[in-house]
Amino acid sequence: MAREVANVWWAMFGFAVLVLLVVSGLWIHAMLRQPRETGAEQARRINRRWIIGGGIVLPSASIVALLAFGIPAGRSMLPLPIEGEQPLRVEVIGHQWWWEVRYPESGVVTANQFILPVGRPVDIEVTSADVIHSFWVPRLGGKLDMIPGRRNTLRLQAAEAGVFRGQCSEFCGTQHAHMVLHVEALKQDAFAGWIETRTDLSHQPAGGVAGQVFADRCGQCHRVAGVSDGNRAPDLSDLATRPTLGAGVIDNDAEGLRRWLREHQSLKHGIAMPSHDDLSDETLDQIADWLETLGPRTKQEQTRP
Amino acid sequence: MSPVYKNGAPTTDPDQLHDQFNEVWGNPCGWRALTIVNHTSIGLRFLVTGGVFFLIGGLLAMLIRTQLALPGYELMEPDVYNQVFTMHGTVMMFLFAVPMMEGLAVYLIPKMLGARDLVFPRLSALGYFCYLFGGVILLSSLFLDVAPKAGWFMYTPLSSSAHTPGVNSDFWLLGITFVEISAVSAGVELVVSILRTRTNGMALHKMPLYAWYILVMSMMIVVGFPPLILGSILLELERAADMPFFDVARGGDPILWQHLFWLFGHPEVYIIFLPGAGIVSTLIPVFCQRPLVGYRWVVLGVLTTGFISFGLWVHHMFTVGIPQLAQAFFSAASMLVAIPTGVQVFAWLATLWLGRPVYRVPMLWLVGFLIVFVAGGLTGVMLALVPFDWQVHDTHFVVAHMHYVLVGGMVFPLMAGLYYWLPHFSGRMPSERLGRWGFWLFFIGFNVTFLIMHWTGLIGMPRRVYTYDTGLGWDMPNLVSSIGSFIMATGVATILLDIVLHFRFGMAAPKNPWNADTLEWATSLPPSAYNFVSLPDVSDRHPLWNNPDLPDSIARGEHALTVIDHGRRETWGTDPLTGKVREIIHLPGNSWLPFIAAALLAALCLSLLNKAYVLALVATAATLLVLLRWSWENGAHPAAAPDARTQPGEPPLHSRTFDGPGLWGMGVTLLANGALYLSLLFGWFYLWTVSPQWQVPEHRLNGGLMLASALLLSVGSIWLHRLIRHLRAGSHRGLLPQLALLALLALVQSAMLLWLLLAAGLAPTETAHDAVIFVMLAYSIIHCTLAAVLTGLQAWRVGYGYVGDAAPYEPVVVEQLWYYNLGVLWISYAAIVLFPASWGGA
Repeated sequence: MAREVANVWWAMFGFAVLVLLVVSGLWIHAMLRQPRETGAEQARRINRRWIIGGGIVLPSASIVALLAFGIPAGRSMLPLPIEGEQPLRVEVIGHQWWWEVRYPESGVVTANQFILPVGRPVDIEVTSADVIHSFWVPRLGGKLDMIPGRRNTLRLQAAEAGVFRGQCSEFCGTQHAHMVLHVEALKQDAFAGWIETRTDLSHQPAGGVAGQVFADRCGQCHRVAGVSDGNRAPDLSDLATRPTLGAGVIDNDAEGLRRWLREHQSLKHGIAMPSHDDLSDETLDQIADWLETLGPRTKQEQTRP
Repeated sequence: MSPVYKNGAPTTDPDQLHDQFNEVWGNPCGWRALTIVNHTSIGLRFLVTGGVFFLIGGLLAMLIRTQLALPGYELMEPDVYNQVFTMHGTVMMFLFAVPMMEGLAVYLIPKMLGARDLVFPRLSALGYFCYLFGGVILLSSLFLDVAPKAGWFMYTPLSSSAHTPGVNSDFWLLGITFVEISAVSAGVELVVSILRTRTNGMALHKMPLYAWYILVMSMMIVVGFPPLILGSILLELERAADMPFFDVARGGDPILWQHLFWLFGHPEVYIIFLPGAGIVSTLIPVFCQRPLVGYRWVVLGVLTTGFISFGLWVHHMFTVGIPQLAQAFFSAASMLVAIPTGVQVFAWLATLWLGRPVYRVPMLWLVGFLIVFVAGGLTGVMLALVPFDWQVHDTHFVVAHMHYVLVGGMVFPLMAGLYYWLPHFSGRMPSERLGRWGFWLFFIGFNVTFLIMHWTGLIGMPRRVYTYDTGLGWDMPNLVSSIGSFIMATGVATILLDIVLHFRFGMAAPKNPWNADTLEWATSLPPSAYNFVSLPDVSDRHPLWNNPDLPDSIARGEHALTVIDHGRRETWGTDPLTGKVREIIHLPGNSWLPFIAAALLAALCLSLLNKAYVLALVATAATLLVLLRWSWENGAHPAAAPDARTQPGEPPLHSRTFDGPGLWGMGVTLLANGALYLSLLFGWFYLWTVSPQWQVPEHRLNGGLMLASALLLSVGSIWLHRLIRHLRAGSHRGLLPQLALLALLALVQSAMLLWLLLAAGLAPTETAHDAVIFVMLAYSIIHCTLAAVLTGLQAWRVGYGYVGDAAPYEPVVVEQLWYYNLGVLWISYAAIVLFPASWGGA
């Protein structure tokens, strides 16, 4: 889909460069040339030619061509009824400054990562829990604003498997720069597997002391299936399978997770998660160890390539 | 043939005449310079102040580019960066672009029209001080680290108190509204001046093109700024008084803010561009030494641009999820604006083609303008294509586009104009060499910064991010942009140096140094406060080309209105279409009132910022008193024109007719006010139909009481109409008691509305529905009370003899306010009583 827009862009670009060169060239030529004396009648003819030809005919023709050529390019992004396989519905909810992603048909919930099947249209219903955000995955298509109280629908379709980058594109406050969405298109069966392993994540390890501390301190906001039920912050039930932490701030590995738990306020200044300075290093490590285990249960079931 | 006004001047010695005029028009020094109301001084103040704000805005831009030069580089914390980019946009748009263009127009327009001053000189001064104080208040927030940080278009709910607690957004809302008083007042004044004070014989179709551009710009300001003023008032009410206009949960809608903002914001772009194009259309003929090709085409193009620009605002909102049909409409309309712009570009081109252009520094800036602006216009047409906009909206592509259009359409022509009119400001010529260096540094720096930025946006970099990760392909283009911006800054410094040096080392400018055709070059260089000792008749579009001796004959007092022993500041009041003289407009002299009024308004702004509402009330009352005192010195008042005698053969003074400029001033002001009210009405119907969670409370307004109030106002208006008909017939019998009774009637009628408001049981903090009704009723109460006060004041003035059959024009001015109030009240009645009853089926 983005390809159609890219084609429109290159056509427009070529035409614009041509117009710019011609107009500037004419202008500079007009300044440098030695004009002959022109009679009044001749001058009037030249005037008419320039103003009507250049000022009216040229832009009108360009506009008609542009509209005829460009408007169809946007149609595939509209959630119009289609025949055959119906689009996959996904809800994406913007928060300051992270993405909540829900698959209502299967009940799967995740955060800051958006997995979609290749070759099947996806209707993304976007809204916001606080301020206005905007959903945008440049390589897949246009953007759509996420507005509190409204539900906008954007249709995307990935032509081939791969990883794409999405980023909030409506200024949404302090950490607007750090609101990245990991987007991954999987082959249809891999996608089905990805959904299936997540339909029931409630058998997470309780985590002993770490799980207890988490449930007490973090569970008000974070959900971990079977452990806590908060809904103000990202659902962490499949945390271990996510590529980054803090919506793109830092890589999600053993070291990154430990840093994030200690330095999140400086890594991503302004976020709602309180400081953990009062927790001992040992407790934080235990929590990190436990968080690293959250996700689909067996290695084979994990679909991350 | 229009009559030719010449009267036997007692002297033809230019020096003696100058002394006589200077006595009446001269500017005081020292502290009393604050009382100056003369348009030349005020215009220069606007330009210098705007220049300072430009440098500050530029420094903020340098900070932004430094931060973005390298990935992950944090010169500033995110919140500081967000303040800086918000203030960069705000300063450049509201404190530089518009005031600068208005300032130049304030300086030039009377001179080009052959007038001695703008028509409301005290208003010019008030506008300037509001601009200065508002700008300083706004900038002070940067130093206190509480600057606005929600982006220069302040999208709510990000800017609301829930998501931006603290005074940051309040600084923006209050400060900008304060500055806009200045923009709108200058707009009103320019419209009336252009329509009513052209010199004898300057019919509309003989007016310099620049005046056409400024006329359209000013009308656009008058109609285009009120939606934002209303939006700011509503958002400030939401923040300060918790009225939920934009809160979805209580029936509001954040998208309403976007509509109000862009209803202003798009015309704003043309408000900035049109005067720039006006400069181009003024300079090109001069440097080609032949008239601009296609005067009528260009005028038509300017008017069309003005109209179309009000139908484009939605193209800033293509990603909001607007219905398809509306998107297609606004997409096509946005492209259409290319046609009138194309007409102008090709009219300029044809003029160059036919003329023999002289290659001087201003011309260099015009070439730069053409290339940069046309490039920006082309990307603008691309952005109007909806699917493409979905891709690049809110990316650096848009940042690049907008800088190409605004810097291309405004800064380049402005620089051309500054170089061109520099001899006018200083009496000295600028240097060619330093000027060329400045241009090339700026031009190259600009393109290095912003050309590559299109690419940065196309590969996905959103705007307004305080940093970015490496490895996304964004590193190199950002570094290039940052380097370019520093080259551009060097260019600005060079230009600044050139301008400063020219005051010291520039060669004295000869008379009409560029051999221009328009009347501003017929003044002395630099000009005296009165511009022209005698006002010449004009019979075509190029007075100085047809009569190169005009500057001298004007200075020798060979034209009209040269007698000044009466001590009045006078200029012609002419017919808006034909430019034939209708009356003599006498203008107020220097006064402390504008400064005091602006200072009190600043106190009001500061007390609102500090939530000191009692103080705010005191400041409002004090401002009102000062403004009433201001209006007191009119008509036959000793400080205005107690003695109405004019020279034999001359027309009467405007205050002795029914045709004064005040009538027009009130009309244009009410137009602005009407635009504000219509925006409110738009908000009401918008929320009813579009707001996702619109709620209509159970209780009903007392429609009967509102109807009674509207009927009473109707009776009063008819009464006033009859009273003024008698006055026009030459009788002021019973004027005083009847005006007094009318004032009382208006007071009773306002009290009924107040009662309605208080007894209605409105809960304006619980639903947007009640909040809008509250504002709508409050609007009428304020206006009707104002009408009562002004009518009472008229009665009082009749008692003093300042108003009456000899000086009859003020009641006619007040009459318009009555009709306006009448229209508003009936429309409000239909909107908040009749409409819900029929819509809700109750």
